[in-house]
Amino acid sequence: MEVNRNLPDTELVSNLRSGQRMDESIKAIYRSYFDSLGWYVMNNSGSRQDAEDVFQEVVVSFIDLVQKNKFRGESTVKTFLFSLNRHTWLNELKRRGRAMAREEKYERGQERVELDTSHLIADREGKAEVARLVGELGETCRKILLLFYYENLSMKEILERMHYETEQVVRNKKYKCLKQLEERLNGNPALKQTLKNLLHG
Amino acid sequence: MDNSTPGMSEKLVEYLDGGLSGGDKQELEKQLAADAVLQQEYQNLLATRAAIKYHGLQQQVAGIHRQVMQKALSPVKPIASLKRKVKYSIAIAASILLLAGTYLVYNFYTLSPDKIFDSNYRAYELSTPRDNNQPETPVEKAYRERDYAALIRSHDAGKDKTPGGEFLCGMAALELKANDKAISYFNKVISANLKASPKVLNDEAEYYLSLAYIRNEDYDYALELLRKIKEDPGHTYREKVTNKLIRQVRMLKWR
Repeated sequence: MEVNRNLPDTELVSNLRSGQRMDESIKAIYRSYFDSLGWYVMNNSGSRQDAEDVFQEVVVSFIDLVQKNKFRGESTVKTFLFSLNRHTWLNELKRRGRAMAREEKYERGQERVELDTSHLIADREGKAEVARLVGELGETCRKILLLFYYENLSMKEILERMHYETEQVVRNKKYKCLKQLEERLNGNPALKQTLKNLLHG
Repeated sequence: MDNSTPGMSEKLVEYLDGGLSGGDKQELEKQLAADAVLQQEYQNLLATRAAIKYHGLQQQVAGIHRQVMQKALSPVKPIASLKRKVKYSIAIAASILLLAGTYLVYNFYTLSPDKIFDSNYRAYELSTPRDNNQPETPVEKAYRERDYAALIRSHDAGKDKTPGGEFLCGMAALELKANDKAISYFNKVISANLKASPKVLNDEAEYYLSLAYIRNEDYDYALELLRKIKEDPGHTYREKVTNKLIRQVRMLKWR
């Protein structure tokens, strides 16, 4: 049964940092913050789709920063997310070439955004390009790499899921896929800074 | 160290995955520290692994995003017709019960003997004009003139002891809110009628006696009399004794 509850900041951050109960924690973020953050985007020249896209990106950035210990609780999760949301949307507006004439203040959240997280947000295009390159690997390669490096499964567990003959075959396949991706990423000099940000935050 | 050494790249990946230990690990770390090209390749592998992890995170969030947005945007499912009807019927029934309950409770606590009396009492009217051969009695005259105190004085002086005179005394006593006296006069009328034929003002006496009992808070007597009137098809006041009146007297009795 799905537990439908909001999580205190400390529990939420702890879950995200350890990778435990990730789904529940991500849903809690959506439940608690999408309405107010989405409202900001929609009240500042954005559409509903913009609000959704930006929020999705903000959630990914937030979790990534938490896992890299870039969020140390100096502010509340809410303030931090609001700041990420604001800067992500401002960057997007600049990219679209129509800076806002006047930025409306948050009203619903009653919280002024004074926290500057702009330096924590890597470029959207770079991230999109990385996602595209990983996505273009092919289903098998993508799956093996994600199971090993994201879900932290052992070779034995991957073998059970992928139906290869031996662990060694899986290991060889994974090695080839990793090298293939490495070449693709290195073959794109424009991604240098994005990769650096992904690596070090 | 030349990283083109056969097997070096695999060893570097093994190191990346935490698969090296002991001497092998120390040896590779030494090589990494001394070989800038190898160091660069290792950095590339670290960045590649970070890209995979980031992609995994994007995928996981995207999956939940789809779920959440689908739930948020999905139209509200209409309740099945029958289910809706049952639901609304129950709601309506509950509302009616609540209103009825509130009404009953309100009535129960605001009901009083005087209230019931006032809503059922109509002053008796002397309807038959007397002709010159039958002059109006002093009691009748006093009643017509609404001089109730004079009426009772005249009666007590013994000038009109007929059932008609007793009845008008009862009515005068009701007007003066002298319930005990009214009860006594009406009972005299009813007693006198027991052997009389035809009966004179018996139905009237019974009805007004029941009202006198109510106002005097003699509810058992009142109920007995009201039921008798209601069960008598030929009773003049049968229509006036409603179920509501009986229910109200019962409520007063319970309270």
